Amino acid sequence: MNTPVAAAATTGHLPPDVLLDYWLHDSDEATTERVDAHLMECDACGHALDELVALGEGIRSAFRAGVVSTVVPAPFVQHLAAQGLRLREYRVPPGGSVNCTVAPDDDVLVSRMEVPLAGVQRLDAVLEISTEPGVRHELHDLPFDSRAGEVLHLYRMAQMKRLPDHTARLTLLAVEPDGRRELGRYTFHHRAWPGG
Amino acid sequence: MTADTAAATLAETPEARAARQIASAPPGEARAAEAELYRLLAPRLRRFGQRHLRDAHAAADLAQHVMVLTIEQLRDGRLREPERVLSFVLGACRLTVQHQRRGERRREELLQLHADAVPYADLSAGIHAGPRLDHQRVADCLERLPERERAVLVLSFYDDQPSEAVGAQLGLTAGNVRVIRHRGIDKLRRCVQQGDGVRRAAA
Repeated sequence: MNTPVAAAATTGHLPPDVLLDYWLHDSDEATTERVDAHLMECDACGHALDELVALGEGIRSAFRAGVVSTVVPAPFVQHLAAQGLRLREYRVPPGGSVNCTVAPDDDVLVSRMEVPLAGVQRLDAVLEISTEPGVRHELHDLPFDSRAGEVLHLYRMAQMKRLPDHTARLTLLAVEPDGRRELGRYTFHHRAWPGG
Repeated sequence: MTADTAAATLAETPEARAARQIASAPPGEARAAEAELYRLLAPRLRRFGQRHLRDAHAAADLAQHVMVLTIEQLRDGRLREPERVLSFVLGACRLTVQHQRRGERRREELLQLHADAVPYADLSAGIHAGPRLDHQRVADCLERLPERERAVLVLSFYDDQPSEAVGAQLGLTAGNVRVIRHRGIDKLRRCVQQGDGVRRAAA
């Protein structure tokens, strides 16, 4: 029984999660047809769907504009490359460092941090940047695939293109019952693009 | 609700009233009712088209085709129960999507045959567009989300991926992804609304 859709018979409206699943093709055929029929009659739910779609478009636009940083899986990065985006990738082993930069026509900047993830239940990170002495940026509950052996981080490209020379250090930490255990430390020596 | 009550309720909807007026008038002379029916149905047809065809232009084509077909049927008296116009429209949408996916050309022939008879044929221009958001505001709100929720939202919405596809990339079940996605989008919506980052798109 499709309880959320049945709930519409009581409340008159569809819950946001039902609309979201419907929009992203996550509802089964019967539910999809019921939502189709409901949206053909209910403008309130139609407007609610429009708001969700607008949020999705906002997420897509923000990502394409390079104003979002996020951890992503390798297949997603491959997908971006297949779409023709200009990728700049830096692969760093645990304890390693890399000289890096960003060109004006780069679209995506990815750091690929090799890290042993077997047995890790939850992953945090701490980011320190030389332009902000003493400041530790905490990143909590990073998504990861324990089979991947690496963590890929996409940076805010729009911001990166404006940054001066600096050094960034990111530490990956396994969160365990009795505290956090360091998995790896990665150093990025960033140089601004000449003439940029 | 009894069957009689349901039927009476159906007959009193604005769509049913407009459809009856079109069906009872000489063909082409119920312009106000036709315009009202268009105003009510066009956004709903657009949404259906975007959901099932994933393309704004194809959605506009679908809306135009179904509107023309519906008006034609009502004018000619071929819709035996005008108050059930929504059922007819829904069925027409589904058939149109099926035909479109099979590469049928009938819709273009119908548009060419009847486009001049329907003064508001350019539905792509008249269809209500959804709200547009300030992407910097969305980005600021995205940055406030936990890393896992942000990643799930980006992966889900960059290419409108279902939960199974996102889960396969992140080592999560589809169910986990949906829970994280729902939580994240709810937080994002609240944050964006608090920041008043919505501006309505021009019609």
